Formats: sequence, C-alpha cells, structure tokens
Amino acid sequence: MNPPDTPTAGAGTDPPDYQELFRQFKGQEGELISILVRVQETFGYISEESVRQISQFLRLSENQIFGVASFFSKFRFDEPGRKSIKVCMGTACHVHGGGFLSDTLGWQLGITVGQSTKDKRFDFQRVNCLGCCALAPVVQINEKIHARTMVTQLKEILQNRE
Amino acid sequence: MNTEQPPITLSIDNRTVTAARGATILEAARAHGIEIPTLCYLAGLSPHGGCRMCIVEVEGVRTFPTACTTPVEEGMIVRTRTAQIEAMRRDILQLFLTEHTSSCLVCDEKAECKEFMPTIRKSGVTTGCRYCPKDTLCELQAVAESMGIDRIDHPIYYRNLRVETEDPFYDRDYNLCILCGRCVRMCQEVRTANVLAYKNRGRNTIIGPAFHRTHMAGGCEFCGACVAVCPTGALREKARAWEGKPDREETTTCSFCGVGCQLRLLVKDDRVIGSLPADDPVVNQGQLCVKGRFCNTELVSGYRRLRNPYARYGSIPTEISWDQATALMAEQLATCPPEEFALLASTNCCTEDLYVAQKFARVVMRSHQVDTTARIFYGPAFDPYLRLLGRSVPLSALSAAEVILAVGLDSRFGRSVVGVALRRTLKQGIRLITVNPHRHSYSLLAQIWLQPPSGGEAGLLRSLLDRVQPAAAAPAGASAAGRDSDLGEAARLLRESKRTVIMIGSEFMQCDGAAEILAILTELADATGAGFMPLPAQNNLVGSLTAGAYPEALPGGVPLDDDAHRRLAEQIWGVPLAPAAGSWNAWQLWAGQRSRVLYLLGELPPTPAVPADFLVFQNIYPPEPYCTADLVLPAAAATESDGTFINGEGRVQLVRRAVPPPGNALPDWEILCRIARRMGAAGFAFTSAEEIRAEMGRFSDAYRREADLARRDPRPFHWGGRMADTRPGGRAETAAGPAARETYRLTVSAVEHSHRGFPLSVWVEGSRMLLTEGMLEINPDDAAAAGIAPGDPVTVVCGDAEMTWPAKLHRDQPPGTLHAALRECACIRPNPQTVSIRKAHV
Ligand code: SF4
Ligand code: SF4
Ligand code: SF4
Ligand code: FES
Ligand code: FES
Repeated sequence: MNPPDTPTAGAGTDPPDYQELFRQFKGQEGELISILVRVQETFGYISEESVRQISQFLRLSENQIFGVASFFSKFRFDEPGRKSIKVCMGTACHVHGGGFLSDTLGWQLGITVGQSTKDKRFDFQRVNCLGCCALAPVVQINEKIHARTMVTQLKEILQNRE
Repeated sequence: MNTEQPPITLSIDNRTVTAARGATILEAARAHGIEIPTLCYLAGLSPHGGCRMCIVEVEGVRTFPTACTTPVEEGMIVRTRTAQIEAMRRDILQLFLTEHTSSCLVCDEKAECKEFMPTIRKSGVTTGCRYCPKDTLCELQAVAESMGIDRIDHPIYYRNLRVETEDPFYDRDYNLCILCGRCVRMCQEVRTANVLAYKNRGRNTIIGPAFHRTHMAGGCEFCGACVAVCPTGALREKARAWEGKPDREETTTCSFCGVGCQLRLLVKDDRVIGSLPADDPVVNQGQLCVKGRFCNTELVSGYRRLRNPYARYGSIPTEISWDQATALMAEQLATCPPEEFALLASTNCCTEDLYVAQKFARVVMRSHQVDTTARIFYGPAFDPYLRLLGRSVPLSALSAAEVILAVGLDSRFGRSVVGVALRRTLKQGIRLITVNPHRHSYSLLAQIWLQPPSGGEAGLLRSLLDRVQPAAAAPAGASAAGRDSDLGEAARLLRESKRTVIMIGSEFMQCDGAAEILAILTELADATGAGFMPLPAQNNLVGSLTAGAYPEALPGGVPLDDDAHRRLAEQIWGVPLAPAAGSWNAWQLWAGQRSRVLYLLGELPPTPAVPADFLVFQNIYPPEPYCTADLVLPAAAATESDGTFINGEGRVQLVRRAVPPPGNALPDWEILCRIARRMGAAGFAFTSAEEIRAEMGRFSDAYRREADLARRDPRPFHWGGRMADTRPGGRAETAAGPAARETYRLTVSAVEHSHRGFPLSVWVEGSRMLLTEGMLEINPDDAAAAGIAPGDPVTVVCGDAEMTWPAKLHRDQPPGTLHAALRECACIRPNPQTVSIRKAHV
C-alpha cells in the first residue's frame, strides 16, 4: 500500500510486530519516550493501535501516553503521506509570506499541519529554515526544493508532483 | 510525623507566624488568616504552580516564588501584598483573560446592568447577560473582581474551540479553560482513572483523553470529580448548568448500591439540583460514582413524578384523594384471603418502609407472602450470597490487605468509589488478582488477570482452590482455563498472604454456576483466612433482611421457624402469627401464579400481563408502559423521606429528608400505615421513622442503641435460615452443546443499575449511553462475519424460543460469546446457554 518512496515512512508492509519491538524494553514507565521513538522509527508514525499496545505493555493509560507523546513535536499521529510537503517558516520565508503559503496549502489539501490527505498522497508540515533563505519563500516536496513559490503556483506544483 | 521537629517561625506581611516544617507559604498564610489569591491550588491535590496568582515576595530571593509550591523556611520574610506583586498579578490575570471570553467581567454596561437587574414587571424576566453557567460561582471571576479588573490591556486572542457536548452528564467548553490542571490532577491523582491529560504544547495545549476521543471512549467513569473542582465554567454539569447557587446542602446516603456513599444534596427552592460527595472518612472518602453524582438528581426530579393517587375506572385513570385511595384498598383487602395476597417490595426502600411492609402483610393480612426482587436478582445464588454477608469485612480492610482477589468485578460505572479505594491500595504495593472473562476496569492494573471462558469461572476457581489447598497433591484439572503459570502464581500469592480480601462483583451472579462459584470462594476463604467484600448491588439488601421482608425471615433477620423469635414477634405485635409460609416466594409471581391482590412496593411487575385481580402500584413514577395498575399510589423518593439503609458492610446509615415530596406523595411507610389504620389494625400509629426504628430495636440488635446508630462500626449480617430456590424453568446446561460454527455462548444478566424497579436509563437521560440494557453485546469481528451493524435488530434463537435485541458492538466481548443485560429475571432459562443468531427481518 505504501510505496517506500516517502522519506519518513520507514515502515514496510509487514504486519506490525509489537512483541518483537518491546522485547528490548523492561516495561517500565521511564522507557515511554524511548518506546515511542522506536515505534515511530518502525512504523513511521504513532497510531491508535500503537498507543493501545504500549498501554498494555507499560500498563499506563492510553490517555497519559498520548499526553506525553503529543507534547513533542517530533511525534506524529497520522500515517505519513507518500509525498511529504514542508513549508518553511524560517525568518526569511516567513517575511516573504511562508505563513500565507502554509494556509493556502492547508486549504487546497483540506488538512492542517501534521496531517496527511485522506488518499495518503501528501502530508504537510511546517519547518524552520531549510537553509536556502535566498530562495525564500521555500516549499520542499520530498527532496525537491521549490524556490520563490507563489501562492498561485501551488496548484500546479502539486499536480506535477503526483 | 513531624511532631518532634520544632515548628518554623517566619514573618508574613510583618506578622510573625509559625508553621509546621514542610508546609508551604500558602498554607502558613491561610492558617493565619492571610489571604493570597490562588487559582490552580486545591487542597488535597499536589501543588501545581501553574497559574502564578499566588506569587509572593521573599526577602533575599530575586524571583517571585509561588506561595503554593514554596516550603516555609526558618526566618523567612514574606510579603504578599506589595504594589509590585499586585500589579504583576493583575497583569497575569489579564493575560488569562485575553484567551478567556470574559463578558461577565469586562463590560461597559456593567455598573448600570447590576443596578437595573432587578426589575418590577408582571412576569419574571431575565435582565442582564448570562453567558456562562458558572456565573456567580466562578473562582476566576471572584479573583478578577477582588483585583478590580475592569479592562484588558492586551490584544484578545480567543481560541475558538468547539464546545464538546457529546458525552453524557457534563459538557466541556475549553474556551473557558485556564489550564489550571485541577481536573487533570483530580482524575490522575485522586481518582486514578487517568482519563484526562494535557495534550499538545504551548498555545495549543488542551485537556482531554487520547487523540480526539470522547470521554466515553477514553474510559471516563463519569464520576464528575473533575467537574466539581473546575474553577471556571469550562466543565459544567448538563443538568445543573444554569441553576446558580444552591440555597442549602443536606447530607444523606446514596440509594443506588450497597456501598452506601454519603452525599451532599444541593437544594434550591425545595428542589434537589445536584449532588456532591460528602467528605465522609469511612465509606466514600469524598468520592462518588456516576449514579450518586449525576443519576440521583435527574431521577428524583423528573417531571413525570407521581403527585396524586389514581385509580382506574374501566380504562380511565382518575385522580383520587388519599381518603378514597385508602378506602379502595381497604375494600379490596378485606375480602382477600392471606394466601392470595402478595407484597413485592424493593430493596431500594428504607429499612423502616420494609419493616412496616412486612408487618402489614403479617399483621393485617395474616400472610407471610412478602418478598423482594433481590431473590430474583441473585437467582440460585441468593442463599449462599446471604451467608457471605456474615463474613463481610469493612471497606477499610482493603488498605490493610496483602492480596485482593476480585471476582467478576468491574467498577467503571457502578461502585467506582470502591475502584478508587482499590487503585489507591495498589499504589501501596498490594497485589491484585482478578477473575473476569472480559476486559474490565482492572485489566491493566491487576498483577494477574485470570481470564476464564464465559461461564467457566467455576472451573477456573476450582483449579485455583486445588492449587491453594496444601493437601492438593497434583493439580488435577489440567484442562482448566487460563495460563497455568498465572494460576500457579495466583495460588502462591493467596497461600502466602496473611490478609486476603475477596471482592465479589455481580458479573457472574445470574449464571447458573453462581452458587457453585460462591461455594468455592467460601472454601478458598476458609483455606486462606480471607474476608469477603460482597458489594451488593442493592443499597439496602441487608436492611431488607433486618426488616424481615421475606417469607422465610422475621424482623431481625431471624428465620421464621425460630420459635422463640416467633413468640417475640407475637408479643410485640400482639397478634398470633400465621403458621409457616408454605412454599410461596417471589418466584411464584414470575412463574405466573395468580394472586387476588398484588402490592408492588417500589417494584415493577414480573410481566406486563400481571397475574393479579387487583394490582397496587406504589412508586415514584407511573407504571406505564410496564403495566397498568388498578391503583397507583405516589411515594416519596429517597431524598424526600427519613429513614435508614444498611450497607453491604452492615453499617447503619441515615437517609434524610432534604426536600418535600412532590404533590401529595407520601413516604412508603406512611401510606402503608394509613391503609392499615383504615382497616382497623392496631400497631400502625407511627408518626415518624424514628418511632419505627424504636419498634425494630426490640427485634434487632442492629437498631438498638439508637443514639449512635450512624457512628457505629459495621456489623456483618448473619443469616441462619435458608432461602428457598424455587426457580421455575431451566437449569444449567449439562454439556456445552456441539461447537457448531454459528453458535454462540449467550450470558444474560440482570441490570443492577435499577432503582425502585425502573432501570435508570428509563428516567435518566445520560445513563442511556452508559448503562444500556436490552442490547445484544457482540464482538465486532463476529458481527462483521454475520453482517451485523451497530443497532441492527438481531434475533437470538435458543431451542424453541426467540428474542430480538438491537446489536451493540463491543470490542471487549470475547469472540463467540454474546451478552445481554435485561431488566430482571434473566435467569429463568439456562445461563449461559448455546444459541444461534440471525439478522431479524426488518
Ligand atoms: S468524570 Fe471522573 S473519570 Fe471522567 S474525566 Fe472526570 S475525573 Fe476523570
Ligand atoms: S477544565 Fe477547568 S479544571 Fe480543567 S484545567 Fe481547565 S479550568 Fe482547570
Ligand atoms: S458507589 Fe454506590 S453508594 Fe456510592 S455513589 Fe455509587 S451507587 Fe451510590
Ligand atoms: S527561512 Fe526559509 S529557508 Fe531559511
Ligand atoms: S495557586 Fe499557586 S501557582 Fe496557581
């Protein structure tokens, strides 16, 4: 289902094997963050099922686990899309209208930051400075940098990238 | 603890004060009447230090520490009210208000509005805006007003969050939330339900369960503890939202289960508008479950409450006076022979009511034909269950236990108070073993969860017992369900524990194996010296026995065939008692035996087509659509009459009249007395519950020494008689039928969340989501295979009988099994039984 073309998705198509994953851990509360990191590495994101499995392993409530996980911006809770879109919000890009780009993209894809589209084609994140401020405002799709992106170009860029 | 350590002396606002070592500045200040504003602080919860309202100046400290988190130190010099601190507090508070819709605080018209709010008009009108249900009760408002905040100097940035109304009993408007974290700490630290957590970070922080789940899906117990501590209007009770301040409070006992929690009823204009836990040190320790917290209010204040007696002339119900009603009763009863009279009472009634009821039957009608529905609820396990009551230990035994064995107990909604106590003890390192075929509220917490197949509890407990008993050579029952290592480990824990408590839930109680399970548990208790916590589902089961409301029992809970006690009764009542009862009991009503007069005291009839010539229905709500009664008598609810309950521990608890009953309704005992007097019977001149107690005291130790009744230690109830089990119909299935693919194991249970015969969900809207009955619970995978969607009508075929219920998909229902909770009398057929299902024709 998930062509391994996305950079974030380390997940293969194997059925999730949590027992295997948990084997390195002792089942103590303090291991929660390390487990979350491993889960995200393995599956690309933290699913409801992952939280359920961790809850049974650590005997913590799913709500507490989610509370901890959602505090860190590096954990994501949606299956990554095949193409990952990053809109730069660094200073230069921000000044050149990165926020406007980000809002428009959200509109066009019908999702908000951190989510992926229903058809799993795109996911959408904001990042701080991609290191090419001269090209601001910058949108990155997978590895490709789109320089001096204007709102009016977004539709076309998305179409070309499908 | 710190008694040897000298107290600390410090100065607060130029006053020299002393405080215990380890106390915070806030505690020291408050103890000496120095007020420091707080929002996130709440006694009983861990200090949070989040709102920074309580900042103070401490000499020699550069920053401004929060008083609620800073411990006192010797010689500290603290100032709580400098101009600088007050300015900072105002600024912090204004920052709160930039996010918090605050029309109640900041409004150009505020002064005029206040002045002109009371208007003289012909009819009541609301003047002034009221946007928030916490208006006048809000702590944020109080703090803001005390600081005289009337404008906000920072840009407004509302969060525009959706108000969450999808859960029963309370709504959430996180636009009003100030992230004080009281609810989170309440849910995690005190209730240990762990439903609420902070989600996300920074500006996006919000409180709630995982993902975007509702509280229902997040495992909330709907105990309402979080709602009660919220300082703002963010968490609000649906039913009490706009009621405002209560006029007064009244302490009474909850009438929904045998735990017997102490409630603080909130009363306004002689109406009960809400209930909160009383800070009772022995029973509920400031906690309640959803029934006591929310269901109680809605149940007693429904608009359909009965207000006047009415009789049926032909098919037309006609309101009549009490005088006419008692006359009609007397006329019917005068010609009714003792063996054709039947009185079916509810174990929700007060002991006094039940005492008068049985006295009425025995003295006025010369009949022992009085019974309660507890017999039906417990089915074949009734007699063994009553015996267990004699070995019950008080709730405080939980914290002293080493090992707790919980059988068939789930405390998410019912008895969650016990769940809180149990989880608290687990933190102290007590071991918990649970026996339950389903995932339950202790699945994650138990050291060992023994999971028998549904209906296989007895087998599993038997093999546990075999392993516990030292005599057991080799564990024989190798076929026993559950992992062997777990079983061995559980047996070891039980063997080694010196103080074991066995908690009994009602999940298996209606199964045919229940009597056997209780017998095995008794043996287990003998082998390990364990005490029991029977946790009856009925709030006054022990009281009903003490009152003698059974054909086999006289007041005092003494068997009818005890000659000395019979003579005592004859002497106290001044009439000869009828000879022993014959074999009548409530099961006869379920079997369809006809009576001339059937008196339903707070009960519904067994079937809509009631086998009685004259049906008397005395209750708080009308009998329709369950049956049509010939005479309907309006009774007072538990919040409207005085009396006592005896809880599962054997503790006598006071029920107090908080409000008058609606219309012409009367307490149960008074109605019975009026009828008895009308029939010329002596001994029914009671004018108060206290007088009845005095008479009961002559029978029963439980009611002697009136003065210290409520303060006394619980006394376990010892039942020395024998309750007949004359269940009609099926017995246990001998073999678990052929394991055909399409067959399922169906277990049925009686709803334990009923009050005076009605399932709570009939009169309490919110409970319809929580406490469903008449639904077929099925595993989602099974449902998918059979093409069943949630809510689809499903026909269950067992032998020659068919029943149709809507489906409820339930992940915790083990595959291949079905479960249905029914109003009563689930147990006439074999239970569990093998059935097949199909989608009903629509
Ligand atoms: S109602 Fe009780 S269980 Fe539910 S969130 Fe509030 S405190 Fe937690
Ligand atoms: S919901 Fe209420 S109690 Fe909970 S953090 Fe918000 S304001 Fe505090
Ligand atoms: S646990 Fe029982 S007694 Fe306590 S509030 Fe709930 S129903 Fe009432
Ligand atoms: S700010 Fe966008 S690339 Fe540096
Ligand atoms: S009360 Fe001290 S920080 Fe909130």
